[in-house]
Amino acid sequence: MGQNEPVPSLLLIEDDDAIRTALELSLTRQGHRVATAASGEDGLKLLREQRPDLIVLDVMLPGIDGFEVCRRIRRTDQLPIILLTARSDDIDVVVGLESGADDYVVKPVQGRVLDARIRAVLRRGERESSDSATFGSLVIDRAAMTVTKNGEDLQLTPTELRLLLELSRRPGQALSRQQLLRLVWEHDYLGDSRLVDACVQRLRAKVEDVPSSPTLIRTVRGVGYRLDPPQ
Amino acid sequence: MTQEHQGESRGWSAARKGVWSRLRFTSLRLRLVVVFGLVALTAAVSASGIAYWLNREAVLTRAQDAVLRGFEQEMQNRAGALPEHPTQDELQHTAGQMANSSQRFTVLLVAENPEGRTVYGSSGGLNGFSLRDVPASLREAVTERQKITSNNKYAYHLYWQRIVDGDTPYLVAGTRLIGGGPTGYMLKSLEPEAKDLNSLAWSLGIATGLALIGSALLAQALATTVLKPVQRLGTAARRLGEGKLDTRLRVSGTDELADLSRTFNRAAEALEKRVADMAARDEASRRFVADMSHELRTPLTAITAVTEVLEEELEFEGGGIDPMIEPAVRLVVSETRRLNDLVENLMEVTRFDAGTARLVLDDVDVADQITACIDARAWLDAVELDAERGIHARIDPRRLDVILANLIGNALKHGGSPVRVSVRECPRGVGGAEGTEGPGAVVIEVRDHGPGIPEDVLPHVFDRFYKASASRPRSEGSGLGLSIALENAHIHGGEITAANSPDGGAVFTLRLPRDVSALTERDAEAEDTRGDGESPSGGTGGTRGEGAEGDA
Repeated sequence: MGQNEPVPSLLLIEDDDAIRTALELSLTRQGHRVATAASGEDGLKLLREQRPDLIVLDVMLPGIDGFEVCRRIRRTDQLPIILLTARSDDIDVVVGLESGADDYVVKPVQGRVLDARIRAVLRRGERESSDSATFGSLVIDRAAMTVTKNGEDLQLTPTELRLLLELSRRPGQALSRQQLLRLVWEHDYLGDSRLVDACVQRLRAKVEDVPSSPTLIRTVRGVGYRLDPPQ
Repeated sequence: MTQEHQGESRGWSAARKGVWSRLRFTSLRLRLVVVFGLVALTAAVSASGIAYWLNREAVLTRAQDAVLRGFEQEMQNRAGALPEHPTQDELQHTAGQMANSSQRFTVLLVAENPEGRTVYGSSGGLNGFSLRDVPASLREAVTERQKITSNNKYAYHLYWQRIVDGDTPYLVAGTRLIGGGPTGYMLKSLEPEAKDLNSLAWSLGIATGLALIGSALLAQALATTVLKPVQRLGTAARRLGEGKLDTRLRVSGTDELADLSRTFNRAAEALEKRVADMAARDEASRRFVADMSHELRTPLTAITAVTEVLEEELEFEGGGIDPMIEPAVRLVVSETRRLNDLVENLMEVTRFDAGTARLVLDDVDVADQITACIDARAWLDAVELDAERGIHARIDPRRLDVILANLIGNALKHGGSPVRVSVRECPRGVGGAEGTEGPGAVVIEVRDHGPGIPEDVLPHVFDRFYKASASRPRSEGSGLGLSIALENAHIHGGEITAANSPDGGAVFTLRLPRDVSALTERDAEAEDTRGDGESPSGGTGGTRGEGAEGDA
């Protein structure tokens, strides 16, 4: 993070006062601007008012829960969302990832881990100085960080965009889930491969003609994923 | 010592009891058969004995009466016509005539001829009937002159006797004409009657045998009807003992066995209810632990975030913290970390207990995983790794990391470095001999160079909160590490065994199947049967991800 870059602004949606206060304290000390909301409704209102760069979202919220908040944000916005989940129980994580979250951390969360995840997610949206690539009707403009399909702009989250960029950088080459986790999510060696799977699903829904029979992003059995130029 | 002795003798007597009860069980059947057989035998033998005896008397008496009447007649008609002192020829002639009567007996006449000599007349020729064939007692009785009284009108009577010559029964009779005349004897074979009686005896014998066989069969059938409910009861009791608590007997009838079945059913019901109660209580306490560790997370999250701020403050050059308070802050920081680990482990354990733990599979290089695990914990200097790259397995990498971290961490803590980790492939499945076919197993061995594990501790190393020594009540670990490692191996269908190496030091051997997909596919089928767009069996990771396509 460069010195002259603007300080990223976060929105923390967490109903528990103690956690909210503590995380706000910790994240502020890590150098973030933090706005907080105690419920999903407040969070959505603040999102419209303040346009933060990233949302840290607790799953267990009174009223509309974190998954629903996530889904509502995704209808209009592609900004990164990190889920705070109280359980690493699989169903929670899977539902969270399917509702559009970019990453998740399990409570009790360490401030440093959360900070690292936040920075990794933010880095995904950073521009590269590179050319563009074409895969059939799909055009990836790396310089402008845009993807068009049949001339139409696709609304991709930074994570989806980064995943597509990493795959398109090595067309025809299979990348393992662990490799993708390191490249895109900057996770350590123990990344959760479900992050990759969920993100691939969302990406396919946006870039493939028929998402259930993908022709661009192919699954390589026993290895991972591969971006194929269409025949 | 005495206790041991008692135990031994108890075991012996129990064994003897077992044999005894088996014997008794079979002898119940045997006893029934024997008793039935005896009853049938007695009844049949006495019935046929009486029948034989009565028949025999009736047959013999009838035959005998007819013969004797005929003989008497002949004596009066023929011998009475003879002169007082007949000649030999006359006697012989008369005897022949008498023998030609309807009864077909042989006759011997004895008289004195006019010269005073005794003469014989026999119907059977020279080899035939002679006086020698007549028993002496009979001769005496016949020739004895009796006093004439009011009760006894005649001086001589007809006497008879049954004799057996060779195998043939005969009737011998004799009498003397009153008022002088020859003494007559007759001999009649009873062979036809004996033959009839023999065949009757045979028939009765066969009937007795049939009755015996019938009674044995009947006893067998009865034993079966009595013993079958007993056997059913035995089977039901065994099933109950095997834990099938819903075992019940069908109650039919109102006899003692039905009563016993009812009692059994009541007992089984009570047992089932009690076990269900205990299971519910167990479940409740398990849920309590799960809920509690869950509730602990919220405050812990807040505390952890804040202690990190304090920690950074400590590390900050020129220290913003009062040196007097610094040890306190450090203690809070380290203990918060410990508490975090403990709660994390408790959560893990409750997930295993509740059966909600799931595998997230990925294809990994085992050697890379081990290197990464060691590297991440800065153990590179203390661990020797003997593993070739290229051993791939389809497992849950996070769970493998948990297992490795616990095994290696435990070895470092208790065994001392260098810890040696070796990996090899095993073509057989995890189960060894009963092994599953397929891709085989990966065997990871963690060996330390410490004093090893005491024999009495060895069976408990995987127990929760088991501390190797009572004098060391507080170890650095949570006391759950090895237990969690084992649960993680089990959920893969793998196994961890602990042993002492002959060269000293403890050896923990982890065996994991190389492809756990089969295990998780069953789970996945149960909870989620959505199709996969590209690869029909992409394992859990793939299946879950791919399956979402339809919804996306």
